Amino acid sequence: MQQSLFIKSVLVVDPANKKQEVMDVRIKDGLIAGCGANLKAEDGDCQIDGKNLWLTPGFVDIHTHLRDLGQSDKEDIQTGTKSAAAGGYTKVLAMANTDPPIDSAPILTLLLKKIEEQACVKVYPVATVTKGMSGEELTPMVDLARMGVQAFSDDGMPVSNLGVLRRAFEHAKLAGRTIISHAEDHDLTAGGCMHEGPQATALGLPGIPYASEAACVAREIEVVRQTGGTLHFGHISTAISVDLIAQAKKQGLKVTADTTPHHLTLSADDIKEYDTSFKMNPPLRTEADQKALVEALVNGTLDAIATDHAPHTKMEKSLPFDKAPFGVIGLETALPLTLEKLVKTKRLTPLQFISLFTDKPSTIIGISPYILKPGEQADLALIDPELSWQYDASKGMSKSCNSPFHLRNMTGKVLLTIAQGKVAYQDELNLSSRISGKLQTATK
Amino acid sequence: MPHSNQTTRVEDILSKHLDGRKCWQARRHLLDTKDLTNAEIDCAMALASEFKKFRSQHLPPMDVLSGKTIANVFYENSTRTRSSFELAAKSLGATVLNFDVGSSSVSKGETILDTARTLASMDIDCIVQRHSSSGSCHQLAQQLGDQLHFVNAGDGWNGHPTQGLLDAFTMLEVLGSLKGAKVSIVGDITHSRVARSNIWLLQKLGAEVHVAGPTTLIPAGLDKLGVKVHYELEPAIKNADFIMALRLQLERQKQGLLASIGEYKKLYRIDHKCLSLAKPNVKVMHPGPLNRGIEITSDLADDPNLSLIETQVKNGVAIRMAVFYLLLNGN
Ligand SMILES: [Zn+2]
Repeated sequence: MQQSLFIKSVLVVDPANKKQEVMDVRIKDGLIAGCGANLKAEDGDCQIDGKNLWLTPGFVDIHTHLRDLGQSDKEDIQTGTKSAAAGGYTKVLAMANTDPPIDSAPILTLLLKKIEEQACVKVYPVATVTKGMSGEELTPMVDLARMGVQAFSDDGMPVSNLGVLRRAFEHAKLAGRTIISHAEDHDLTAGGCMHEGPQATALGLPGIPYASEAACVAREIEVVRQTGGTLHFGHISTAISVDLIAQAKKQGLKVTADTTPHHLTLSADDIKEYDTSFKMNPPLRTEADQKALVEALVNGTLDAIATDHAPHTKMEKSLPFDKAPFGVIGLETALPLTLEKLVKTKRLTPLQFISLFTDKPSTIIGISPYILKPGEQADLALIDPELSWQYDASKGMSKSCNSPFHLRNMTGKVLLTIAQGKVAYQDELNLSSRISGKLQTATK
Repeated sequence: MPHSNQTTRVEDILSKHLDGRKCWQARRHLLDTKDLTNAEIDCAMALASEFKKFRSQHLPPMDVLSGKTIANVFYENSTRTRSSFELAAKSLGATVLNFDVGSSSVSKGETILDTARTLASMDIDCIVQRHSSSGSCHQLAQQLGDQLHFVNAGDGWNGHPTQGLLDAFTMLEVLGSLKGAKVSIVGDITHSRVARSNIWLLQKLGAEVHVAGPTTLIPAGLDKLGVKVHYELEPAIKNADFIMALRLQLERQKQGLLASIGEYKKLYRIDHKCLSLAKPNVKVMHPGPLNRGIEITSDLADDPNLSLIETQVKNGVAIRMAVFYLLLNGN
């Protein structure tokens, strides 16, 4: 960012610093030039009135499907990272179940080149645990980690052979990386396409039982115990899994877990008329599960919120419910949905809440948490927590619009995202009354 | 002129069911029995009664739907059901197109939406669709509902509303009212759209619905939907007014859902002997096609005093006539 920016009287919410206070922040040449009370704007500063706004570290999403390569009709690095920026994210972990999957050095090289050319936020590649996600032969984890892979996951096709998983933990330890588990027992899922229960029965759809997730969580915890490895459970959806994870943590095992905005805000009751934008894996569970997930975020059993942003084309999602692919987009709606669920209800303070999007997910995948202080590269999100707006999935930055929240009224919105010192997103309409001067969004 | 007499009689009946008719006029599709109002059900039943008489007189077709084209699009084979729809449509004077899915571009990756769009371009008025995916007809109705009427002739495990209606019609012919009647549905409930369409409809008509079947073939949470669930036959059929045996797909055994066909027969087959538990005038039903000797004994299926199976088939045409008339005439 060549220009300089002065944000006046903004509530800085900086979890890693345990700081939540109103101050002025000045950014120059992409760096934080100053922050504190009563700073002076300088000539030529573009100024933003930060009253009633929050300035936070850029969000970190540890579960994003950016697609690209053979699936660039769903999403590519450019649209996916723009969508991330629009949601306040400056760092995303790109899942490896691409086509082809990220399982070898040459494919990783190709991906890294695309990221270099097209990403407007920082993208950390994930590589698969096993070659071709076949659940059999391990990928060269140490090599891939050295080339820039930040975590390993066979997301979508969980490793069902526990012997393989054990070796994977051991190799991941050597590589100094975390494994992210998609906890699902495919034999228990058995072709199911929504949560098993009265709703699925009433719609005549095959169900996915609780045990499909919980049984897998239980057995993987035992492999963690055996190996002393570390494991992160992505997109936890059931109360029973939460209990298992709480118990494992209490016993000192190195497990962490996240859940998604849609699992926190929707349940199987919300699926009506076979709308495939409500079809995701794990499926929407019950209201009791939803409550347990909220509780788990409050008491720390769950460590982070991750989007599981999973774009699919209109054509794919227009298939019948049982045939349509699993997944929903979520980068642009994560903040308002969870803000309403967790902060408006006073379950979490802004500082605790922002922590679920910033320092906590960073720590899980071994990135040092961002601290907002002079000299640091600007990597920030400016948020209006009170702004009311209507989400229109077809007008978002993502290439796809498979969102269950299409046309939902939201409160809270990202106004500006600065990633790695550059403006990655600005909501010009809603900034206009607060801004003097003009900010240039970086082109990529 | 048999036509004008007939049309007058139909209009007479409808004038006695104004509320129901109004609802039908506002409705464009028949996708489920779930959202039918009691007024709509009564209206359809009254009309079906009239159409049943008409059919029995072997008269030339009526002309009330002349100029309308109805396409049967069956992605799953069922000559019986398709013929019933075809006969119903033709008896009202509609043109029928049996769209051959097997040999069309559907087998080359065309989606059901593409097919429906193609038919809409040919100025078809109504699609009668059967498909293996639950909700497939609902999705089409959402996309193309303003151009076409849709009648769901079976979607996956979800629904088969004209079957539900014809079954209720058949029961009503016997009892007059289903308030407090005990109806037992026996067999593979999980995979049965017939069971679901019957359950929703019979509950609206005041019947007490019981099901019985192996634990593996009763879907989760059915008891929370107002259905009494049994895993043994006896309590289900005790004092029953109607017993409906469902067709058992023999491949369920390969899927590990049944220990053996023999075991199923021992536990759930409906025969003369087990009927002693039921009400004295109990009647036995089956949506067809039968696996003779598996879900019901051959003797019982053919027993004219106890079995309504042939009546169900006959009533199917009359109910489908009523549905076509209510959806397409004047809409
Ligand atoms: Zn996953």
